[in-house]
Amino acid sequence: MIGFKRDSKKDEEDGGGNPFQNLEKTTVLQEARTFNETPVNPRKCTQILTKILYILNQGEILGTVEATDTFFAMTKLFQSHDVILRRMVYLGIKELAPIAKDLFIVTSSLTTDMTGRENLYRAAAIRALCSITDGNTLQQSIERYMKQAIVDRNAAVSSAALVSSLHMTRFAGEVVKRWVNEAQEAINTDSIMVQYHALGVLYHIRKTDRLAVTKLVAKLTKSTMKSPYALCMLIRITCRLIEEDDVGTNSKLFEFVQSCLRHKSEMVIYEAAHAIVNMKKTGARELAPAVSVLQLFCSSSKPTLRFAAVRTLNKVAMTHPAAVTACNLDLESLITDANRSVATLAITTLLKTGAESSVDRLMKQISSFVSEISDEFKIVVVKAIRALCLKFPRKHSVLMNFLSAMLRDEGGLEYKASIADTIITIIEENPEAKETGLAHLCEFIEDCEHTSLAVRILHLLGKEGPRTKQPSRYIRFIYNRVILENAPVRAAAVSALAQFGALCADLLPNVKVLLARCQMDTDDEVRDRATYYSVILNCNDAVLNNRFIVENTHLSLPTLEKSLHQYTMQPSETPFDARTVPVAAISPSEEARLAAAEEISTKPKTAIATMTREETYAEKLRNIPQLAALGSPFHSSPAVDLTESETEYLVKCVKHVYERHLVFQFICTNTLNDQLLENVHVHLDPLPEGFVVAANIPCQRLPYGEAQSCFTVLTFPDVLAISVGSFGAVMKFSTKDCDPATGLPDSDDSYDDEYMLEDLDVSVADQMQKVAKANFAASWDEAGDENELEDVFALTSMQTLDEAVKNIIQFLGMQPCERSDRVQEGKSSHTLLLSGVFRGNHDVLVRAKLALSEGVTMQLAVRCSDPEVSELVTNSVG
Amino acid sequence: MGLLTKLMAILGFNRREVNVLVVGLNNSGKSTLVNQLKPDEQRATEIVPTVGFNVEKFNNKNVGFTAFDMAGQGRYRELWEHHYKDCQGIIFVVDSSDGLRLVVARDELEALLDHQHIRSKRHLPILVFANKMDVRGALSAVQVSASLGLEKISNKPWHICASNAMTGEGLQEGIEWLTNQIRQSVMLEENS
Ligand SMILES: Nc1nc2c(ncn2[C@@H]2O[C@H](COP(=O)(O)OP(=O)(O)OP(=O)(O)O)[C@@H](O)[C@H]2O)c(=O)[nH]1
Ligand SMILES: [Mg+2]
Repeated sequence: MIGFKRDSKKDEEDGGGNPFQNLEKTTVLQEARTFNETPVNPRKCTQILTKILYILNQGEILGTVEATDTFFAMTKLFQSHDVILRRMVYLGIKELAPIAKDLFIVTSSLTTDMTGRENLYRAAAIRALCSITDGNTLQQSIERYMKQAIVDRNAAVSSAALVSSLHMTRFAGEVVKRWVNEAQEAINTDSIMVQYHALGVLYHIRKTDRLAVTKLVAKLTKSTMKSPYALCMLIRITCRLIEEDDVGTNSKLFEFVQSCLRHKSEMVIYEAAHAIVNMKKTGARELAPAVSVLQLFCSSSKPTLRFAAVRTLNKVAMTHPAAVTACNLDLESLITDANRSVATLAITTLLKTGAESSVDRLMKQISSFVSEISDEFKIVVVKAIRALCLKFPRKHSVLMNFLSAMLRDEGGLEYKASIADTIITIIEENPEAKETGLAHLCEFIEDCEHTSLAVRILHLLGKEGPRTKQPSRYIRFIYNRVILENAPVRAAAVSALAQFGALCADLLPNVKVLLARCQMDTDDEVRDRATYYSVILNCNDAVLNNRFIVENTHLSLPTLEKSLHQYTMQPSETPFDARTVPVAAISPSEEARLAAAEEISTKPKTAIATMTREETYAEKLRNIPQLAALGSPFHSSPAVDLTESETEYLVKCVKHVYERHLVFQFICTNTLNDQLLENVHVHLDPLPEGFVVAANIPCQRLPYGEAQSCFTVLTFPDVLAISVGSFGAVMKFSTKDCDPATGLPDSDDSYDDEYMLEDLDVSVADQMQKVAKANFAASWDEAGDENELEDVFALTSMQTLDEAVKNIIQFLGMQPCERSDRVQEGKSSHTLLLSGVFRGNHDVLVRAKLALSEGVTMQLAVRCSDPEVSELVTNSVG
Repeated sequence: MGLLTKLMAILGFNRREVNVLVVGLNNSGKSTLVNQLKPDEQRATEIVPTVGFNVEKFNNKNVGFTAFDMAGQGRYRELWEHHYKDCQGIIFVVDSSDGLRLVVARDELEALLDHQHIRSKRHLPILVFANKMDVRGALSAVQVSASLGLEKISNKPWHICASNAMTGEGLQEGIEWLTNQIRQSVMLEENS
């Protein structure tokens, strides 16, 4: 439903006043008592119901009691036969259903209406009924009416029943499944909507059963369905099958999609074209007819068709540039389209595929109306510019100017963030653009209303500023924030200042003075940071600076919090040792951002700290007494499958690594509904030398369909060199036969059984945590060459540098630094820099010099305070 | 109220709309009974146990009845009281072939009569149908009346008749009594 805007004052001024303005919840609910009066006054009650719906849509919240009272009063209105009032009652019921209690009391009244003679009631009553019912009532009192309604001759009734069925699968999937015959019958009707909705239900019922879907599609693609909506949906289902089964373009399925390009309905034609260009594996031959359809639509007189076509082309511009270039002429004619959305998409599509020479012209065109388009489309423009910058680095100044102009315009957070993101990407990609980019950002934060964005930019200035030719010019911008902004921004500014102090000796005295002033701030966090940095900077120790200012210590915050809490609960003489807290893994989203090439998420980063995999597991492991004693896991690997996907039992394994212990968590699922497994555990055999099983924590009961865990705790060998290896595994358990319907065992008889699992490997990567270093060189020097181990390897199986880089990163489980995971095209040598922390809190740094020559040659240097670790890392690569 | 309208009301020219509440244990035949009272062409062909309530309309002697046919299953009985406040008559249906549950019916009837909104209506007529009279071994109206302790109701008009909701036998008599009572009680109320 379209929300009304509370603050749209303008509408109210020129609309002669909104009669519902300034409604008070309490007054409205008071008025609702009128519902209890007899005889019912339909006009008045309709009015009041309208008010209730209005305030609910304004976001007013009713309590359970208020809602239930109102709901009960509303039920009295069933005595009126006024059609309009009754339909308002249905709406009221649907709105109150999620809050009020005892909804079932209208069940009979609604079933009467849905089966009654008044056609104006029936469809709406079904919808209301669907919102108040639960699985039990559905099965006991309503099921047969639903079945009848699905095959009703009245299309509105049938559609309502089908759509409601879909909604009800949420809580009564099993019941709805039984209506498959009715849905099947409904799909053969003449009504366009009914056919569409019936297909929706049929597909939903069968979608987890691949074979059934294949049959459904095979049958329907042969029949000729009348409904264009149903056909569009069928095309989507077919495409999913094609992609999943990887059947390629020669199949009957693909033929069907292609045949839809010749359908008489534009909707179907478009859907087919859209599907074909979006398929992963379409070749030029299959693409051509689809693209010519889109091309035709580009010059349609209907704006919707033009929009759809150009939007689709825009999306696939990067994947199928050739196809889009074929439409260049048509796109050119759209850049002056009266519809600004169409024009924007046309221009940005051309930008994505066009030549360097056309950039200036297109940018000029788009500047002429950029202020007229909505944020959403401005973001499309920004994305196109980002792609352009990556493609034509030399154009950065034109594009950067354009971006900074956009930055100065009005706009929402998401839009501004996408611009800032783009500028940041450009800076990172293109050293030449760095200084101008930073300058634009500095200017932007002078007048930036979005705290989160200002904080990010300040962080970037702190990171990049000290390494520019003239760091001093940034100090003023940063310090201005300290004077003018709110506390979070001031705190970020303090941190940024400290970076300059640590890295630029000539600025140090100034920074110290500024930080001293910040220690007088009114905000705790700002003062704390200022004090912290001042103390460190006053030591004048480069190693300290590097370790505590330039490199952030990435401790796992939730675990740190837990540990500190525990420490304060049991005070002791010894100071708290931060080294007992595991370092935080780089979270996947962060990782994605660091590695991002084309797509940087434009969503503002959420403020809530997302938990890493380790932290989520740590929560759960702490609840198991035998494991709690081990503390928090240092590293948890992603789950690996130990069984094929369609077997009796599914077993996944997660490896949790502690300082001295290794815990295998086996997540088991029993897919046999006539079996109950008990005492499930995994026996490891053979065990690599040196590993000792310390404990086995079986899973007591494993009923059908639930995922449960059992654990095996091992101690690592004392000698590091043999701490990697491969384990044999067998799942052992005792089985009871049981009744599939209830899941209860038939008798107490049980028999022992076992099930072979795939082998399990423990590698270096499992014992390593990724940790980024902002200044690799400083850390490398700090580690010192006395702890270095070096060796040369020939990686004969690797064909390209890129492949070698990916493999080494994956193999060692370490974090690439200074964007060294990206190999520049055409280069024949590359240096990969990795950093990580090995279990036991050993910092590990790796420098791998790669060169192409009959495969890849690698000169590997490892620096770590523990020579055993260096040796393990080196050996495992070989 | 003017003299003329009063006269019209007494002579029955003035059409009235009244609400009656149909209650009683589950399976006693409430819905069947109400359905039977409706005009032929509007009757439902099948009756299922009620969930919540149903509203039905029928006419008798120029009085338009709106009947709230309540569900009788244990867990729904709490709902009845929501409708006590605005009803002008009660129809209490008893399954006279279900001797075992007569005590339960009696409890429910007593609780109803004891409710504040019912007590405050002095002239509220209570019509009891000793339904399912056709079933072999069914108790007579007199026996049902005794089991329910109807004679103890002193402050309200009441009436009991044996009925067969499937055929409609006995219904007319009961409803006519109710119609007359309602006319009178409404007049009394308006005069007082
Ligand atoms: N033999 C006979 N059966 C009756 C009579 N009245 C109702 N029945 C049957 O009794 C059963 C219950 O009737 P309903 O009208 O659903 O009873 P109810 O009181 O509305 O029940 P709830 O809605 O659950 O409170 C049905 O199978 C009717 O056919 C009657 O007078 N004689
Ligand atoms: Mg009933």
